[in-house]
Amino acid sequence: MLARTTLLATATVFCGSVAFAETEITWWHAMGGQLGETVNQIAADFNASQDDVTITPIYKGSYEETLTAGIAAFRAGEQPNILQVFDAGAATVIAAQGATIPVADLLAENGGFDINDYIPGVRYFYADSDGKMIGMPFNSSTPIMYYNTQALEAAGVTAPKTWEEFQSVTAPALKEAGYEPLSQSHLPWIFTENFMSRHNLPFATNNNGYDGLDTQILVNNEAIRDHFTAAKSWIDDGLMGYYGSNWSDNAKPFEEGRTAMWLGSSGSFGGLMQKADFEFSATYLPYWEAVTTEPTQTFIGGASLFAMSGQSNEENAATAAFFNYLTSEEVQYMWHRETGYVPVTQAAYELAQTDGHYDRFPAAKIGVEQLSLASGDNTRGYRMGFYVQIRDVMNREYGRIFSGETSVEDAFNTIETEANELLSRFARTQGAG
Amino acid sequence: MKRAGFAQPWLPMLLLLPQLTIIVIFFYWPALEAVRSSFYLEDPFGFGSSFVGLENYQILLESREYRRVALFTLFFTLCVTFFSLAIALLLAVKADKVLRGATSYKTLLMWVYAIAPPVAGLMGAMLVNHSNGMITHLFGAAGYEFRNGLNYSDTAFTMILVAIWKQIPVNFIFFLSGLQSIPVSLREAAKIDNKSGTSRFWTITFPLLAPTGFFLLITNITYALFDTFGIIDVVIKGEPGNNPLTLVYKVYVDGFRGNDLGGSSAQSVVLMVLVLALTVFQFRLIEKRIHYT
Amino acid sequence: MTKTETNRGQSAPRKRRFKLEHLLDHSILILGSLFMLVPVYLIIATSSFDRITVARKGLQYTFSDQMAENFHMAMFESTSFTGTVDGFTMLMNSLILGMGFAIGKIAISMMAAYAIVYFRLRFATFAFWLIFTTLLLPLEVRILPTYEIVQGLGMINTYSGLIIPLIASATGTFFFRQFFRSVPEELVEAARIDGAGPVKFFIDILVPLSKTMIAAIFIIMFVVGWNQYLWPTLITTDEGLFTLVRGIKQIMLVIADNNKIPEFGVAMALAIIAMLPPVLIVLFFQSWFVKGLVESDK
Repeated sequence: MLARTTLLATATVFCGSVAFAETEITWWHAMGGQLGETVNQIAADFNASQDDVTITPIYKGSYEETLTAGIAAFRAGEQPNILQVFDAGAATVIAAQGATIPVADLLAENGGFDINDYIPGVRYFYADSDGKMIGMPFNSSTPIMYYNTQALEAAGVTAPKTWEEFQSVTAPALKEAGYEPLSQSHLPWIFTENFMSRHNLPFATNNNGYDGLDTQILVNNEAIRDHFTAAKSWIDDGLMGYYGSNWSDNAKPFEEGRTAMWLGSSGSFGGLMQKADFEFSATYLPYWEAVTTEPTQTFIGGASLFAMSGQSNEENAATAAFFNYLTSEEVQYMWHRETGYVPVTQAAYELAQTDGHYDRFPAAKIGVEQLSLASGDNTRGYRMGFYVQIRDVMNREYGRIFSGETSVEDAFNTIETEANELLSRFARTQGAG
Repeated sequence: MKRAGFAQPWLPMLLLLPQLTIIVIFFYWPALEAVRSSFYLEDPFGFGSSFVGLENYQILLESREYRRVALFTLFFTLCVTFFSLAIALLLAVKADKVLRGATSYKTLLMWVYAIAPPVAGLMGAMLVNHSNGMITHLFGAAGYEFRNGLNYSDTAFTMILVAIWKQIPVNFIFFLSGLQSIPVSLREAAKIDNKSGTSRFWTITFPLLAPTGFFLLITNITYALFDTFGIIDVVIKGEPGNNPLTLVYKVYVDGFRGNDLGGSSAQSVVLMVLVLALTVFQFRLIEKRIHYT
Repeated sequence: MTKTETNRGQSAPRKRRFKLEHLLDHSILILGSLFMLVPVYLIIATSSFDRITVARKGLQYTFSDQMAENFHMAMFESTSFTGTVDGFTMLMNSLILGMGFAIGKIAISMMAAYAIVYFRLRFATFAFWLIFTTLLLPLEVRILPTYEIVQGLGMINTYSGLIIPLIASATGTFFFRQFFRSVPEELVEAARIDGAGPVKFFIDILVPLSKTMIAAIFIIMFVVGWNQYLWPTLITTDEGLFTLVRGIKQIMLVIADNNKIPEFGVAMALAIIAMLPPVLIVLFFQSWFVKGLVESDK
């Protein structure tokens, strides 16, 4: 009897593996360094957790390189099953209907999908104008303010809530205490895109670009011009440091303890834990009280996963299976814990809370909380084509403002003009306009 | 070609076939494709493209940024060419003159040729690091805050410095072999005629080196325009930002980073025309060079 | 007596002036050599430090004790990379690219030059121009369409896609054409009288005659191939195909990546491994290298 059962079991397993020969899928991503190791870990765990699907994660370089490689591969008909696309590249991919399978459809066909499982802040950034999720938010982060606890104590201040407070109280005290008060790592992301969402200002026409291709950028407004005028004066007065458009060059002074506060990504948490040999914490991204008294939530940054079309049904089902695994609460919690990226589902967020993660690391929850602040008409995200180039234009002009080569006014006029040219050009590549 | 040749008709065809096949597929086809696609506006994913005539070129002509890049490329090329030629010439003249240690100097001065441009760029990037680069410290000691990647002209300085460093060996080798090919009898005669070393150099040696110099001029311009990509990419850490860029780097940025295929192709065609002009110039010089030697 | 004294009086300062001039010459040469050497010395010294020192203090003047460890990690562990590639794999890929490029270029260009110089062929002039036009446009200016075509042919992430498009230029052909034309015509006559056919003449006479030239151009081409950057960066996205020079890009990305203290020591070690083989070849075969460079360049 026992022998027979074993035989039967073996046969079942054997037949099973023949009938559903292992489906192999690939995942192109841009997660280098420690993040890449965590990605590999997730993939290995997934492969070990079941016998039907094998996923192979492949590192393709920077976000820009990964996007370009994915597009090139699609043109050659050799696209991966899953492509990681960063926030700035999302418009290009979502506009190319037919290049991807909306994740909402994919998951609905393979086990079900409910957008309300996700935390509010990440639901609609990678969605279409009807609110259907196209790309699955994966490594989601948002800009927050880290601060060196000792530095703030030495200066006798607390982390500023508003830029007014920073300007008049925090920064001068920190400077007095011998610190460079502030640095930030990504001007287009932190001082532009999230400046708009934090103050609930429209970033582009057509509902921030979601509702059509004939979009115009609304970056040239008084609030942001004033912000950059202030930032320039902070730099001139030694209240803020600017180290170019490179992320880590700006993070370094904070990591070395020279700069007291740093605007970075909530996803930088894991790395900072490793690098900083001082006590640090984090708080929300400051806002201007002069602009709004009701600051709103920020955009998610980071990247999402797109299921590329043109694959067999088996492979699509395998992709869905992996997405389901990836969004399971344990995996999300593990990803959140290891990297500092926010957990994208409510369940994972709750798990992190009940597990006491935030009691141990209060700073780890700032990102999620900031994404869950009050929303507004302009806080769901933005959708603009050729946005990688638009960001390059911003970086260029901001660099020129800070080095004194141009005025704030001229810079924003240039950004507006060039961005609108790029937007209309993109609209025409899509057969519109 | 008055050579007594073989007459087989099929063998030369067969011999030429590999080269011609490769050239047609990987040179002529892409070159034509660049011209074709410069007249189109194309969706990155390749779902469709539309004919836009000369629009891509018009955009380039009207773009302030493109003009800025072109101007910088000119400045960059002039600096790199002039300084790497001048320094190499000075070193070659001295290496030709000294008796002791001539071979060692020659070896020490030429081997950097073998270092890849991005590796050179990596060294440069480390040397100008904000917080701990040695060049940054040197400037700091002189009372200047050197900010690579932040200040446009400081970044340009780094790029030019590395590009010169990398190009000196080639120029040195050519100048040295040019000098060594000047007949001893001629040198002796010059010594009798003209006592001053400096004036001897300018009246005798320099004109004799002119063919080598002209040839190197073209080589150096080509180098500065195209072969410095790796240096630039590494020095600016792949972020265009507010950094100086060259025309070739812009082709790459718009094509591969921005996925603007038509715009990038139009820039390629502009470069092709530029190189064609240079080559016509070069062919004339080669004729001259053959005439001289 | 007075005469001798005057003479001595004259010659002594002249001698001193000569020495001064020599001193100046040597100082210039020493300065030049230092300018070329110091950056590389710094990289070598820095490769002997641990990552934290380098991250904090930058390049180092002195040596520490981590060199063996850093080199071992650079060669055999996949630090700085998330896949499985290590320095050894990249070294192999660089060798394949350098050798493949040099051998491929020499083979096809010798054949083509032979056809152009030694055969009566109406098509020859046309072929000549067809080939030499390629001298005009470096790969960089037609990079995007070349990439598209290579991608269309399914050659992305293959060695052939890496090597063959780089060979599509006429530098080698031009060089061999010049050389073949300098070979005495009597040799062909003699070969014909002996009844040697074109293939026999090529293999038995021309190739042995070109040995030095082949060696010289091989060295140049190997270095050029080894040092390729842009094309390998675009065409190889699989880490298994990365070359060392391509790997430098990855090092920069990892340095720029904020989530970890970059493995600076290992990065420096990798940079040294990337420069070592071409540098050694140039140093060991110096005379061939100089010959190849001076005589081949267009």
